Amino acid sequence: MVKRLLLFLPLAVSALLLQSYFWVPTFSVQVKGSEARLRQFINASTGDAQILNPILLTDAASGDIADMVFNGLIDRDEDLNYRGRLATSWEIYEEAFFVPRPGGPSAGALRERIEGARAAGQPEWAWNVTQVEVIPPAEVKASVAVPKRGQQGFDQISFTVAYPERVKITLKEVDQDLFDRLKALLGADAFATDPAPYLTGAPAGLARSQSLAEVQLAEHNPVIVFHLRKGVLFHDGHEFDSGDVRFTYDAIMNPANLSPRVADYEPVKRVETPDRYTVRVVYKRLYSPAFGTWGMGMLPEHLLNAEALAGEARRLKRDPQKFTLRDSGFNRSPIGTGPFRFKEWRSDEVIRLVRFEKYWEGPPQYAEYVSRILPDALTQELAFYSGTVDSYTAGVHQVERLRKDPRFQVFSGLAFGYTYIGYNLRREPFGDVRVRRALTMAVNTRQIQEFLLYGEAEDITGPFVKQSDHYNRSVKPLPHDPQAAERLLHEAGWRKVNGVMRKDGKPLQFTLVTNHGNEVRKAIAVAVQDAWKKIGVEVKVDMVEWAVFIQKYINTLNYDAVILGWRMGLDPDLYQIWHSSQTGSGQLNFVGYQNPEADRLIIKIRQEYNKERQVAYAHQLHRIIYGDQPYTFLYVGKATGLLDRKIAIAEQDKSGKTRYRKITATKTGNYTFHFNKWLKLPGVPQFEG
Amino acid sequence: MAAFIVRSIFFKTVTLIIISIVSFLIVHLAPGEPSQIDPLNPRFRKEDIARYREAFDLDKPLLRQYFLFYKKFFTGELKSFKDNQPVMGKVMERFLNSLPIFIVGTVLTWCLAFPMGIGAALARGGGFDQVTTFLSYLLISLPGFFLAYLLIIWTVNWFEVPVLGIRTFGQEGAPAIYQVNDRMWHLVLPSLLGATGGIAFLSRYVRGQMIEVLESDYVRTALSKGLQEDTVYYVHALRNAALPFVTMFGLLLPGLIGGSVIIESIFAWPGMGRMAYEAVLTRDYPIIVSLNFISAFLVVVGTFISDILYVIVDPRIRL
Repeated sequence: MVKRLLLFLPLAVSALLLQSYFWVPTFSVQVKGSEARLRQFINASTGDAQILNPILLTDAASGDIADMVFNGLIDRDEDLNYRGRLATSWEIYEEAFFVPRPGGPSAGALRERIEGARAAGQPEWAWNVTQVEVIPPAEVKASVAVPKRGQQGFDQISFTVAYPERVKITLKEVDQDLFDRLKALLGADAFATDPAPYLTGAPAGLARSQSLAEVQLAEHNPVIVFHLRKGVLFHDGHEFDSGDVRFTYDAIMNPANLSPRVADYEPVKRVETPDRYTVRVVYKRLYSPAFGTWGMGMLPEHLLNAEALAGEARRLKRDPQKFTLRDSGFNRSPIGTGPFRFKEWRSDEVIRLVRFEKYWEGPPQYAEYVSRILPDALTQELAFYSGTVDSYTAGVHQVERLRKDPRFQVFSGLAFGYTYIGYNLRREPFGDVRVRRALTMAVNTRQIQEFLLYGEAEDITGPFVKQSDHYNRSVKPLPHDPQAAERLLHEAGWRKVNGVMRKDGKPLQFTLVTNHGNEVRKAIAVAVQDAWKKIGVEVKVDMVEWAVFIQKYINTLNYDAVILGWRMGLDPDLYQIWHSSQTGSGQLNFVGYQNPEADRLIIKIRQEYNKERQVAYAHQLHRIIYGDQPYTFLYVGKATGLLDRKIAIAEQDKSGKTRYRKITATKTGNYTFHFNKWLKLPGVPQFEG
Repeated sequence: MAAFIVRSIFFKTVTLIIISIVSFLIVHLAPGEPSQIDPLNPRFRKEDIARYREAFDLDKPLLRQYFLFYKKFFTGELKSFKDNQPVMGKVMERFLNSLPIFIVGTVLTWCLAFPMGIGAALARGGGFDQVTTFLSYLLISLPGFFLAYLLIIWTVNWFEVPVLGIRTFGQEGAPAIYQVNDRMWHLVLPSLLGATGGIAFLSRYVRGQMIEVLESDYVRTALSKGLQEDTVYYVHALRNAALPFVTMFGLLLPGLIGGSVIIESIFAWPGMGRMAYEAVLTRDYPIIVSLNFISAFLVVVGTFISDILYVIVDPRIRL
């Protein structure tokens, strides 16, 4: 009996399991047999999304999905210039205020003088002025975050600023030099300089000095007016209007929501909605990167306002007081205005979106966008081969292998980021620019790009996105020249003794640190160690786990040199990474770069609203930073993409006939730009021309 | 017996409290912070980071954090840092996903290991014994991921059927019988791989136990007095050889919350192991500490059950 059971049971279990094979559709049935499959775009994603709410998400996987479901007011076109999405157009102008010096000429008198000069057409900037007014005294309530004494965290200290009569000047275009120009016209002593008399209600100490800094004796208020697109619908049929923009802003600033975007919108003074299709954003100060933040996805107010959230909390039997936007089910079933409507999300398995038929730009070609979560790189490739996914995050080596395969099309475009070796400029021998130049010239960046990255990388010479206008193409990289590097070290006082550079008896040696787990960086470390050894520099390589690396080395500024990378946004603001005020512990200018001219340009750039002038400043800054060599800029990587060759761009020509066009990357290397027009065809198409 | 149970419950509670402290401390003292507090994000200001720390209770002294954490844990208010979903709901969802692999894997392990082990013991030194010995060592020494890749490539190329994930994508509209079998098919490879180590190890163990019993006096007596061989082996000997395995049932319990990160990642299975692994990478403390605590709880309960089981099945043991 027992014997039979022992034999029978395993056989029965195996048979039961294996028979299931006959019920499963084979790949050919799934892929070729079904018309519906051609209308699905299935993307293999390594990680699952975390939270599908544009104001709360921080991870790339959530961002990719949110981009399909939501629209911002603006985004970037093929050439990386701004274009309208939910906004059709916009204007940017400026309102400036200043407090006249107490005891000096009154606001009225100053206004007369400016108007007088304007009437005479005297100053060459007069064309820019639209209006000069005197505004009555006003009280403004504000608050500052002050670190708690002896504890972690911050206290919000509120105070009141009582402004006297001020002069208000409205300009056609933002002018960051306005007050310098006014000083030239009215004399420097026309302006108040001491903020103390206007401050009330702030305690002493740190809070007081911080509040004093908030008193604006002379204030630039850039204003952006967005004109919204009419008739745009959310996926539930509700019309999008200015209230939703305002709501999205309020939701970000609401401390209960813990939005990671707060810093982006902190410079906003107020958001006004004069009518349903106009939004007026007034800023506290000059801060041009703020414009790009309006590319953020817009939330539907009617589903997420306080009332709706309280209702949801009651349905879920949760405390409405504690129930915030973060807790809402919306984050797992979002509703936006984007080309795809959310359908289903099974954690760590799949996210499905379907075409939104009433999308304002016309519905996309694909009926469905699916993100399948396949964490393993090898199985992703297998799924791609078998045709069950259309695209995956292919590594450079995988792309290299499939480049010539007739079944696939390959894309590669420059990424928005670069890898570098950063030197701790506070430590010797890195204080000497000649040493840094020598170290750069000893490294063969071409070799790194060729052998470690299969050629999918390019030289980069500065801190801007290489395909943007701000990048200065006339800055040429230092040549790879070990002899010249040795000569430079010689010039700096180093002498080669027994193959090692020495100065005052001390050898030229340091430790190069990078994070564990990044194979490319590990290989780079070995390559540069070898290159530097050839010019007589002794380098020890150390690899540490990421969290330890950041905490024990970067944040405490306790390192000689590091290999790291920056992923950049398109905005040319470099304040956090390169300004000399950001060199403290835990700040991002951890190499300790300080250059007064660079500081001046960094400020100019972030205050400039005119792109041409901004580009000119950026080009100067780029040259200065490359000349100083605080980093050895190694390379900018390329993002590679792999698609089935049967996918093409479908467009209607004038006669209404559908024409197919090959998918091409834009100038900036982005091949998914026209995704909404993509379509998979039953066979590989032949293109005309 | 009653005294043993009371004493046992007391000591196990103490153990659990100590574990709760240790697992909480390990996570909080390890370097790194929740990924929401990204120190290299240029857009974060110090006060933004402080707001996160406050919302996550990280600004409070460790002792306070400890009590707050377990208060929330037991009242079900604990939420993941990552997406604000209640931790218990997330754990439950993953538990239900991992459960089928665990059940099928365990059934396979026990169903295959016993016949293999017994057969090897009876044919000691013979062909079957040598083959199973070789297979067992092969399975123990082959890395799981390698075997997984081989199996996947082989099934995909030869049988042309999907093996990744919990079900075939796009089968939503199919009749129920197709869906049930489709899900069963997707269980085959991951649970087989999950079971390989167990089969290899357990069959060796069964063989050892069986050989030990077969050499004992009463088996020789039974055989020499002319009892049927099958009766001696499968009734008398097996019953005694199987005694130690009864206790292993209790120890299976912690396996419920486990789940192999490697197998789940390769097979794109949305299971517990992957959630735990990702929680560790993003320093999602509520998930990490909760899983730690739950599995510690299951271990403690499991050992308790096996103690009791032993008393029940083996009349020689008295507590």
